[in-house]
Amino acid sequence: MKRLYQSLDVLWLLLMGMTLGTTAVAENAHPGLWMTVVVAVVVGIKGRLVVDHFMELRTARAPIRHLMNAYFYVFPTLIVLASLYPERLKEWTTL
Amino acid sequence: MPQLASQPSADLSAAVPRDGLPRPGRIPGNQAIWVGIFSEMSEFGIMFLAFFIAKAHYPVLFLEGPTRLNTTAGLVNTLVLLSSSYFVAKAMVAIRQERRRDCVRWLWAAIGAAVAYLVVKYIEYEWNSAHGISIDTNSFFAVYYYMTFNHLLHVGWGGGAILWAIMRLKMGAYSADDHEGLEAVAVYWHMIDLAWIVMFPLVYVLR
Repeated sequence: MKRLYQSLDVLWLLLMGMTLGTTAVAENAHPGLWMTVVVAVVVGIKGRLVVDHFMELRTARAPIRHLMNAYFYVFPTLIVLASLYPERLKEWTTL
Repeated sequence: MPQLASQPSADLSAAVPRDGLPRPGRIPGNQAIWVGIFSEMSEFGIMFLAFFIAKAHYPVLFLEGPTRLNTTAGLVNTLVLLSSSYFVAKAMVAIRQERRRDCVRWLWAAIGAAVAYLVVKYIEYEWNSAHGISIDTNSFFAVYYYMTFNHLLHVGWGGGAILWAIMRLKMGAYSADDHEGLEAVAVYWHMIDLAWIVMFPLVYVLR
């Protein structure tokens, strides 16, 4: 019981730290691909932590758990791909 | 998901262990809330795709746009929403241990966070107006207002759902063995936090 309570506390502090850290770095660093990759990875990690531990899906039925976790693999990947290939995306979406 | 359809709802919260941990292999909340959550996640997903496409078509506007936004307001709201998810997770542990008063306190903390989010968002929109930013300014700000106002609405009615859960708790509706409704509200609230986890860096941070 106590361990579960403490793990939520640690997780909350970790999420706060990751948010503050990446925002500070992104605000002060030169915009570029590596920064996009860092931010996308942090989005994926934060999403997985919330899904598994706050939403408590790590022990839930597999279809729900997999779909929610997939969201935080797909969208961070799309963030990086959209940054890598903007011209191709523009070409594909021009009417 | 045929497995979900075959699960009788009466079994969802049965035999809940009193160690604060959810029962393994369960559907958190109920099937209906998951239809809602996946619909909402799809809706936010389409908004994110629209953002990527608009950014590809107007790269200069989307490079300059985030630098004109109040990043501090976005950052504070990120911290507030993550904290609200933490409060709701604590409330779920409390109800599973039959600590109803603690559960109510954690849910009030989540309501406080929701109100703080709405106040910060109001200040941010006022700050935008004072700096000549509106939905008509350019494509970046049109997408920014559409996404963030849509998210704000979700925080508003999600907060209303938590208030409803507090009222039900005070009427004796939930217990360690039966808290399906409360869990449904909790997972919906976490979904609102998850959408913001993607939205904040997209709109405020990445150039």
